[in-house]
Amino acid sequence: MMRRVAITGLGLVSPYAPGEGLDDFFHRLCAGESAVRHLLTDDQPRPLNMPFVSCPDFDPDMALGKPLASMMDRFAQLGMAAAFSAWDDAGLSRQSGEENRDSWGCSWGTALGGTLAYEKGYRELWQKGRERLSPLAVVLGMNNAANAHISIQLGLGGVSMSHTVACASSAVAIGEAFRRVRSGEAQVMLTGGSDVPQAYGVARAWEALRVLAPGNAETSAQACRPFSSERRGLVLGEGGAALVLEEWEHAVARGARIYGEIAGYGTSCDHSHLVKPEAAGQVRALRAALADAGLTVADVDYVNAHGTATAEGDPVEIEALRQVFGTHAATLAVSASKSMHGHLLGAAGAIEAIVTVLALRQQIAPPTAHLDALDPACAGVEHLTQARARPLRAALSNSFAFGGSNAVLALRAAS
Amino acid sequence: MKAIELIREFLHERLAADPAAVVPEAVLVDLGVDSLMMLELMFEFEDRFAIKLESDLKAPQTVGELATLMEALIAQQTASPDGAT
Repeated sequence: MMRRVAITGLGLVSPYAPGEGLDDFFHRLCAGESAVRHLLTDDQPRPLNMPFVSCPDFDPDMALGKPLASMMDRFAQLGMAAAFSAWDDAGLSRQSGEENRDSWGCSWGTALGGTLAYEKGYRELWQKGRERLSPLAVVLGMNNAANAHISIQLGLGGVSMSHTVACASSAVAIGEAFRRVRSGEAQVMLTGGSDVPQAYGVARAWEALRVLAPGNAETSAQACRPFSSERRGLVLGEGGAALVLEEWEHAVARGARIYGEIAGYGTSCDHSHLVKPEAAGQVRALRAALADAGLTVADVDYVNAHGTATAEGDPVEIEALRQVFGTHAATLAVSASKSMHGHLLGAAGAIEAIVTVLALRQQIAPPTAHLDALDPACAGVEHLTQARARPLRAALSNSFAFGGSNAVLALRAAS
Repeated sequence: MKAIELIREFLHERLAADPAAVVPEAVLVDLGVDSLMMLELMFEFEDRFAIKLESDLKAPQTVGELATLMEALIAQQTASPDGAT
């Protein structure tokens, strides 16, 4: 029997103010406030100098306690903090009590894993001439560190898995968690993603792809301009975001607050090019998500776009939406919240799923910031340049990754 | 620096352990030192005292056992210019 899947907990390390929580985060998004700042490091010979989104006030020792934080790379620290927030938000105990958590699991997304730990190791070996590394290097760096810690800390005895699908990592993690709850395999799943792309080598690698938006201290806040004719590329960011997915009847029985419902999940591969997206592949994922959710295009009131602000990606995504939504496309509300919180890579799908479910919960869709001059190639949908309050019944969250992997989540308002 | 002082400093820095609780009779597991943290502590110890521990060293159970082991190795290393291996 297929089960309904409720979203009962949300958590993130806010790029605006880590201590302020979800309402503050969503309010700032709706106000069009950018979290993008100018990053200038002291790396030598050439400092990182780019727009970036960071969580500068995040204190891992405060958030997690020193013993736990010292066993983690920053990507796992951000993930664990987000997971704790989501778990607390769901009203679940961090200690497994009388309920049996043998089927409860964790499905996590990370594009990069513990890159800061690896990079520290390389510096020790090659820069400082050390001959050996800390015994913790492996467990700090491994890609499944975040989900492993989360499962340990929350007593989750079911599946614990990590998904590495570039920019779609946490959308896939959420989708796979959704499938497990829907099938009855798991009663509760903690899901989401985290990444820290500010490792020197990682950031330099992204720079070499020539897809990063330029910016200085004055211009960085407005650097990410999805769908704009003035867009110049994406803005990287670090972050962690988590959701608690729960079998609907279980959530109702324990009186949990239900933010919304994950109703469907669609995936596809362009199978054509590593970095050049294709509308046909995205169309397949969009249609698969709608069919999986039992939604028609007329049921969807909002799309949180992948919208990275790259020259290639934005028009292709809009073309895919035009193909799928047909005559409904012109009135389809679309926005790219990346314009404000940046591209969190392995956490992107999770933070955007949170934005989407908060839109459904609060019945207000956030805007695409800095969209003063729409690129004609991106026309054909209703781009939101201001937050808009109107009835939202169902929404999609798009994640389209390098490698041609596409993942679309279909969400419904709680009812 | 004496071995027990290094242990206190390390456990405070890494595990926020109260230095007053790091006494010879304290059990390492009770202070939060699991097998991974023990490896990290050994690594730190090797670095600080420029020695190399045997890879099959029997794991000490208490702070006192650990301190005794460390001091014996330091003494051995001091006595042998080539260092203990």
